Amino acid sequence: MKHQKLPCVVLFFLSLAACTSLRAQSPATEKASHPPSAAVAAPLMVELHSTNSPLISFRILLHAGSINDPKGKEGLNALTALMIGQGGTKDMTYKQIVDALYPWAASISPQSDKEVTVFIANIHKDNLQKFYRIFANLLLQPRFDESDFKRNKDELLNYLQNTLRFNDDEDLGKQSLEAMLYANHPYGHTPEGTVDGLKSITLDDVKAYYKKVYTRDNITLGIAGGYTPEFVRGMKADFAKLPPGKVAAVTLPKPAPIMDLQIDVVKKENRATALSFGCPVDVTRADKDFYALMVASSYLGEHRTQNGVLFNYIRGLRGLNYGDYAYIENFIQDGGSTFPVPNIPRRHQFFSVWIRPVEPQNAHFALRAALFQVQQLVAKGLTKEQFEQQRRFLLNYSKLWNQTLSRRLGTLLDSKFYGIDYFPDRVDRELKALKVEDVNAAIKKHLQDKNFDVTIITRDAEPLKTALAENTPSPIQYAGPVSDEVLRDDKVLVGLKLNVNPDKLRVVPASELFEK
Amino acid sequence: MELLWVLSRRRKIVLAMAGFLLLAFLLGAPLQSAGADIFPYGIHKDVLENGLTVIIVPYDSPGVVAYYTVVRTGSRNEVEPGHSGFAHFFEHMMFRGTEKYSEQKYNDMLKSIGADTNASTSDDVTTYYINASSSALETIMDLESDRFQNLKYTEAAFRTEAGSIMGEYNKNYSVPFQSIFEKLRDTAFAEHTYKHTTMGFLADIKDMPNKYEYSLKFFDRWYRPENCGLIIVGDVKPEATLAMVKKYYSPWRRGSYKWEASHEPEQTAPRSAHIDWKNRTLPYVVLAYHVPAFSDKGLDGPALDMLSQLMFSETSALYQKLVIEKQEVDQLGGGWAKRRDPYLFTISTRVKNPENVANVRKEIESALDAAQHQPFNEEQLARVRSFLKYSYVMGLNTPSRIASQLAMYVQLAGDPQAVNRYYTLYDQVTPEKLEEVAKKYFRPENQTVVTLSYGGVK
Repeated sequence: MKHQKLPCVVLFFLSLAACTSLRAQSPATEKASHPPSAAVAAPLMVELHSTNSPLISFRILLHAGSINDPKGKEGLNALTALMIGQGGTKDMTYKQIVDALYPWAASISPQSDKEVTVFIANIHKDNLQKFYRIFANLLLQPRFDESDFKRNKDELLNYLQNTLRFNDDEDLGKQSLEAMLYANHPYGHTPEGTVDGLKSITLDDVKAYYKKVYTRDNITLGIAGGYTPEFVRGMKADFAKLPPGKVAAVTLPKPAPIMDLQIDVVKKENRATALSFGCPVDVTRADKDFYALMVASSYLGEHRTQNGVLFNYIRGLRGLNYGDYAYIENFIQDGGSTFPVPNIPRRHQFFSVWIRPVEPQNAHFALRAALFQVQQLVAKGLTKEQFEQQRRFLLNYSKLWNQTLSRRLGTLLDSKFYGIDYFPDRVDRELKALKVEDVNAAIKKHLQDKNFDVTIITRDAEPLKTALAENTPSPIQYAGPVSDEVLRDDKVLVGLKLNVNPDKLRVVPASELFEK
Repeated sequence: MELLWVLSRRRKIVLAMAGFLLLAFLLGAPLQSAGADIFPYGIHKDVLENGLTVIIVPYDSPGVVAYYTVVRTGSRNEVEPGHSGFAHFFEHMMFRGTEKYSEQKYNDMLKSIGADTNASTSDDVTTYYINASSSALETIMDLESDRFQNLKYTEAAFRTEAGSIMGEYNKNYSVPFQSIFEKLRDTAFAEHTYKHTTMGFLADIKDMPNKYEYSLKFFDRWYRPENCGLIIVGDVKPEATLAMVKKYYSPWRRGSYKWEASHEPEQTAPRSAHIDWKNRTLPYVVLAYHVPAFSDKGLDGPALDMLSQLMFSETSALYQKLVIEKQEVDQLGGGWAKRRDPYLFTISTRVKNPENVANVRKEIESALDAAQHQPFNEEQLARVRSFLKYSYVMGLNTPSRIASQLAMYVQLAGDPQAVNRYYTLYDQVTPEKLEEVAKKYFRPENQTVVTLSYGGVK
């Protein structure tokens, strides 16, 4: 797919705006190329050239993720990626590599998800050749040192057993939700694997997995910046040395439909109760309806913005927590920004709502309030005015998503995954063509109103379970006076009947999550 | 936010500070040569008659502008007992509207331009930012100048917002570092307001709904032009932008509030504290030493930056020993957070086996001791200088990041050029200076240690 070409440099940024609208930021000189002739078989290459840019960004995408973990070896994909990104080469130990990269302030970061794994690197072109040799050798000639294996395996195990289970309730809620949504599905375990799976992995398993999966037909090379054609030719030739072969695509069964409100109450000590709920949706960025649902989801609440309905309803008017947002696809925040991290594409997506921790006594009420807003959306849809306002926001906001070359390269790779043109261009085009009727029809077609998987992280697990099972009223007290509108709605909310299935309502100790 | 050195498991950044290259490189400028400025773009600085500092940096980001407002007030200013956390609370109140633009109208207008907007508070500063289309600059300026001059909210809104502060505290609480830093500050400081975190003491947070009248006083004291800086970076023209700033901000009147920062007496004996964590966790060990305030003149600060790299970065001998070779810890970091008043140099680590806690602490203290007696060499220093300078400039790749970097020096020194002065100091630090600084600050009687563990492990 051909994109608008910009002359050079300033390709990091957006085109000039008209009025208060920003124009789509297209990739610089983007091209995807197979090897020039059949004689030189190399991986697919995606380039984002920027003539004068001295920065070179790499994203080497492996078309394998945690769905490729063998049964009983959950975590093998992530551990192999760590052994490459945080390991040595045939010629250099990990320590030597760390020493070499240091004065350049260079970075190499492996990132694993369900379907893909990416190795992200950035370097100044002055140091490109020296850096690239190390970076390429990490992927082409990994050391697979026993000591590195122990360290990296410990890192993943400690993450699951300590950090995720007990030291970050918000991530715990999100990961638990995915485990519920994708029970008995290849997406069912975290990208980092399971405790049992990781424990069973040997260094030989890693070597075998590398040999099987890191093949030239299973990798896409992504490069952006001020590189030369000669450099790209050399890179292609290097990676052409990988053995041929392509890993067979993992068949993904359609997630089972959710017929009621199924709730995992995760028990652990904490001050406040974190909640997440969601349902699978049968759309991805490749589908027209995705863009209609993007508007609907954004109306409920764009990540970390203060203008969503959920945020205003739960925090703004009631002060119950720090924030409340909705998502139409898997979302991981990129560093300190509010934007999604690239290179976590998936063939199956889910709609979700994130309610940040509330006082334990308000958890039932907060769940009712959030579900009430989703129900209102599904029942009434958006008005034309709401639609226009939300679409305008997204048309402008989406232009801020990819301000760096590396993020643009990542988004471009994701666009290839979905078989679409550059995602921000697609957003721009689809949103402009949307009508409010399209959005409301998509809501009716794809979104649930009362049936979701729910995870609740709380210390008060048993009482909450009983209250949920019995649909007990959840009265609410505020620190100060609230509006009549709030009080009127609260009368409905405190007794809102939720479609809880008592047979699918359970208390799960956090210590048991992610074990198998 | 506290400066932490917690390495994320999946996005672990090798050698810290990932990022990209700056436009200076794009334009062919070399990385800071001797005596040259580290900040590669032209800074247009003006101070309005009312005292408002205005920084405008044109940057090649077609159609995009970053608009930062810096209030040089943070939790450091909370000198009145019972009011800790108020600077942060007030940051939340700034989104509650004015007579001209109600909260709803303010949100709607920012929404219509697709703005990425938020705010943050730390010890010394409260920062408000908007990233958006540069064609919306006047709309942004109208909104921002209005709320900084004419904020108005009801007591009911104030009480409701207090709930979200409690929610913020609660969401942070599940992460052990929240408690560690609460305890560390409370133990290391006796008098200074750095004794509490920016969130504030829990008792004060709980009492926030009852402080409406105080909040009006707070706005009147601190949200004054002479205490603020405006930083505008991106696709803007300096002269026209400054004229616009004058139009919208000139009516803002100076304040008259006088205050004195609290003074911390010298620590004379080691201090320690322990937290029994209610959830399973690997043990944490945090050591801290009192160090001086930020200065763009003295060498102690730059020397401490370099010591943090030499002793605790991934290339350091200690990191190699504890993380890579012996694998006794899975996280290790150390450094100095720049503050307007004397603060702390902090070293934090997470120990894999509870039985090794004492030994790990001993190893860290040995490294601190070695820095006082076994000098680093010039080659090591050169590598650190290269890293620090590349790291800095590689982060300057969006208008927002540039504005954020300038905001830091505006709040610390009142002058963005402080960054250029500060980075030249690295070249003056010698091995002898490092040894002297290590001896000066890494003394047992200047130490505070906080441990956190589960199940009675100490």
